[in-house]
Amino acid sequence: MQRAFVPKVGVEPEPPPPLSPRIQWLRDYYFKGTQRTWNNEFTAWTTGTPWDLLFNEMTYYIVPETYPLLQTMGGSFLQAARPVRLSDHFWSLSLVERRAWFVKQVMVHHVPKEVLPGDLIAGARFNVQTSMCLTRQERRQYDRLVTGRHGVRQQVLWFHNHGYGNAGATSGHLIPDHVRALRLGWQGIHADLHARYRELEPDEQRGSMGAQLGAMITAASMAREVAAGYAALCRRMAAAGDDGRRRSELVQMAANLERVPWLPSRTFWEAVQALWINHMLVMSDENYPGPGVSFGRIDQYLLPYWEYSLAHGMDREFGKEILKCFWIHCNTAYDAMIRNGNQGITAGFGQLITLSGLGPDGRDMTNDLTYAILEVIDEMSPILEPKPNVRLHRNSPDQLLDRLVAMISRNAGAPFLLNFDERAMAGLMRQARLAGESDYIHAGNVHDYAPVGCLENTMAGNDRSGTVDNNLNLLKAVELTLTGGKDLLPFTDPLSGRSARIRQDGPTTGDADRFETWEAFWDAYARQTAFIIQRCVDLYELSESVRARFFPTPYLSCLVTGCAEKALDVTRGGAQINHTTLEAVTFATTVDALLAVKYLVYDRKRCTMAQLIQALRNNWDGFEVLRAMARNKAPKYGRDDDTADEMGRRVMELWTRETWKHRTHATGRQFRPGMLSWNYWAGDGFLMAASADGRKQGQFLSNAICPSNGADIYGPTANANSVGKVLGGRAADDRGDWENYLNALPNGASHTISFNPAIVRDPDHREKFKAFLKAYAHNGGTALQINMIDADLLRDAQQHPQEYRHLLVRVTGYNAYFTTVGKELQDEIIARLTHCARS
Amino acid sequence: MTILANNALPLTARLLEIQRMSTEDGPGLRTTIFFKGCSLKCRWCHNPESIAAHPQVMWVENRCIGCGTCAEQCPEGALTLTGQGMVIDRQVCRNCSICAEACPTAALERMGKKWRMEDLLVEVLKDRAYFDASGGGVTLSGGEPALQVRFASAFLERLREQGVHTALDTCGLYEVGILEQLMPVTDLLLYDLKLMEPMRHHKLTGHDNERILDNAIAAARHLRHRADGRRMWIRTPIIPGATDGQENIIGIGRFIATRLEGMVSRWELCVFNNLCADKYRRLGLAWPYADYPLPTAHRMENLADMARASGVDADIVCWSGATAVKGA
Repeated sequence: MQRAFVPKVGVEPEPPPPLSPRIQWLRDYYFKGTQRTWNNEFTAWTTGTPWDLLFNEMTYYIVPETYPLLQTMGGSFLQAARPVRLSDHFWSLSLVERRAWFVKQVMVHHVPKEVLPGDLIAGARFNVQTSMCLTRQERRQYDRLVTGRHGVRQQVLWFHNHGYGNAGATSGHLIPDHVRALRLGWQGIHADLHARYRELEPDEQRGSMGAQLGAMITAASMAREVAAGYAALCRRMAAAGDDGRRRSELVQMAANLERVPWLPSRTFWEAVQALWINHMLVMSDENYPGPGVSFGRIDQYLLPYWEYSLAHGMDREFGKEILKCFWIHCNTAYDAMIRNGNQGITAGFGQLITLSGLGPDGRDMTNDLTYAILEVIDEMSPILEPKPNVRLHRNSPDQLLDRLVAMISRNAGAPFLLNFDERAMAGLMRQARLAGESDYIHAGNVHDYAPVGCLENTMAGNDRSGTVDNNLNLLKAVELTLTGGKDLLPFTDPLSGRSARIRQDGPTTGDADRFETWEAFWDAYARQTAFIIQRCVDLYELSESVRARFFPTPYLSCLVTGCAEKALDVTRGGAQINHTTLEAVTFATTVDALLAVKYLVYDRKRCTMAQLIQALRNNWDGFEVLRAMARNKAPKYGRDDDTADEMGRRVMELWTRETWKHRTHATGRQFRPGMLSWNYWAGDGFLMAASADGRKQGQFLSNAICPSNGADIYGPTANANSVGKVLGGRAADDRGDWENYLNALPNGASHTISFNPAIVRDPDHREKFKAFLKAYAHNGGTALQINMIDADLLRDAQQHPQEYRHLLVRVTGYNAYFTTVGKELQDEIIARLTHCARS
Repeated sequence: MTILANNALPLTARLLEIQRMSTEDGPGLRTTIFFKGCSLKCRWCHNPESIAAHPQVMWVENRCIGCGTCAEQCPEGALTLTGQGMVIDRQVCRNCSICAEACPTAALERMGKKWRMEDLLVEVLKDRAYFDASGGGVTLSGGEPALQVRFASAFLERLREQGVHTALDTCGLYEVGILEQLMPVTDLLLYDLKLMEPMRHHKLTGHDNERILDNAIAAARHLRHRADGRRMWIRTPIIPGATDGQENIIGIGRFIATRLEGMVSRWELCVFNNLCADKYRRLGLAWPYADYPLPTAHRMENLADMARASGVDADIVCWSGATAVKGA
């Protein structure tokens, strides 16, 4: 155990080298935003019918901020839409064939093609809103189902307004089979689709299977024709230009585009070019700019091309230059609504790339391309897309960890997310067992998983798991338990000021005041939990069934294994692995609220149930002492306190079991559990009534699997241990889901920890931080986002000390919580931190 | 193990706090256990709540909502909430902590809690994975852990049985035999040397330093005889006007170089800080250092250079802590 301990002088990690003039120009140009003469904002295209529909609002049902705009957006796109001349037999085609033809027509013949100065990758405009190609009758049916009085939209609004959460069939959020598309080229995919079509019986060819394969065959030549357009453009630009170096680049780009993505890629440049076109057309096909359309293990499947080109004379820096152009392209996804302000950036879109991680036989797969991509991230930083997720495990190499920690210390936080293989793979192995998917996920391939969006774990190329489609506030079940199945407070419409009448929504579990024991309360809570999950499942069915009927994505279906085999669109459950994920929001608030009910009413008898309910109705006004007890005396999740964490485990076990019971009717997709909270934990805090943990209405709820704000007063290790425990911890008998790891959440769980920047201040401390990451793989969750505490956060802590009980000030020979230090000294700590950040 | 078996009563310790993921008390990531009660009374002490062996009640003003629950429950009538804040009559207060138990906001805190050995062991082993990954472990600190030597030595032994790295952070003031019990179960000794001049030491810490220096020499001898590569660290708090004189730094350096037999692998100069001013106020104590400015980084570099020139192996010298922000 004893190590030689040599004190080291604080040497800062080398800053990254400056960008080349080419990339610097592209990057600066990108950040000019609306000042640019070129951009990639949505263009809209219509069949020209008076009943046309361009905007699939259901894909925005999980973004409550857009609810007031849905009608306007649909109208505006239609107004701005340019007509596309239809082929003579267009209206005799099936819907999926119409859609395939229309999107291809728009992308090949209508959307302008440009190459930016110096750019090494072609494929610029891809954000489109294309006609849904509905007939008049289909449009009428759609309206009844979606915008009618009892349509999905009204149901979604009700669900959101009453604090349950939201649900909607959302685009993106999967990893297309890029590996196959690069290896076979579209030529191979196209040939395979033809063969499958020929194998159909004649009546199948005339039916929906034939229509689907026909549409996919149409879509399968879209990339070739788009590339041909860009190749011709590059040739024209090369002929017109005079810069010798740029001319030869354009000639090479044209040659690349004349080959890929139709034929298999050979060189690194070809592969990145092919990957970009294949990817951007998914966004065109779905009319959805980016969110969650992820790349998977890019440092693994691009490696053969990287090595081939390096061996054939490509300069390593030029290879990185190609990647940097790819980076710029990914960011132009944000241009979709660039005129809405903030350059269209509303949140990280999450075109996720995955780096490093385990391979077969427990091997680490970090390679030269992993490092090259990390260099690209470092040199391009700060930039949002593509969003990197680095997979770590118990035996991740020191060199990789050194690199990551150096980047964290330079960027005052991590410019990437971290995923932890052992726990993540345990979740997917459990999914395989519970969903009967062992043919597709097993010990021999689970290491090939990759996250989408942020941290939502899926398999690659054959998996659509609807990872952001259902967002449910678990806390609602506690509220319904206290009231016997009703809203605690009436919903008041902010526009009309009218309050809705309180109704019996959930099961009548009875007057909470009559529950003699904690277990009686728990039993009612379990029934209400089953109810809110059922309610979410029912809501999801509405948009899922409408999407399956009206919004096929035949191009994307070509890139998802299972769709061609079943001749079934990915929106109809064509993927081999088909799930929709129920993302639980408010986990810690729920656990803490239950702990507080148990502590205040049953264990310590500090109040009666009736008093507690009254306090919550009053938003704790007039109940300050009781509220203080709920906040400070009742146990909390996130402190590595086995009793409190046992409540967390019990809540987890209950809601995940209920979730696994459900499947969509229209598409047969099995529900699976996860914990991602996006920003709902902030916004829904204003909708949900006060909670028994001491939270007032208007205060934030807890985020994903993180402890409640300020509850983790015993530091990062205790916090991480609690997270690992509620996911299942480890099996004592080595019979875990993967080795001895257990994980109740195959989707994974978002976990953020804020560290004091002192943790990376010198080489000695950076070693300690590396060790924390290694140990997190043993004890923690599936994913970790690292933030560094900054001066703004400390200033907020000065203003709201109760929210920040956990902030520790620790220097040699002294320790105290920040919020217990006097104002002047707090100011001094803030000044020091600001100073650190500057130097 | 043996000690437990030979005694009817389970061993307990009086602890102030358990600090997890500590990065400042030895190698790797550590859990530091602060014992309550110290044999020295340094005027500058940064953790004044650790000096008294008995539990104490502290009032944290910005947590208080003024509900008066504490004053109602105090059996001695020692608490008065005034316009200027809580007044605790320390003459009357018997430190029973009923108020802290009742306080709904945790504004009243009981400093000092009894821990059973088995519970403490469970608590620290929760971070086993972090110790193993970092080469860290458990540090006993304080206060002065050696004042509770029976518990401390048995506890360190239990940790070593579990393969956990152990460190002892000590001020060195106790009978010679005590360190002999602790050294065999301590992987790393963190030893404080503050002042070389005995009169000043007595004036500023309440005791002279003869025994402290003797114990340091004994510890070094123990390490040399054991010959298993273990070393000790020396820590010197840099207190303006007290320990930061050239003579003192060079004196400590000479002592390390000539008397500690090459057994010191690190000499750390710990920067004075003034963050504990609030703690003194809350304990109703005056603190003579409240208005002292923090040293600058430049000053600390000078002191470190002084230390490096004092005859020790220059590589062992380092300094740590927060210095004054330039211009502030």
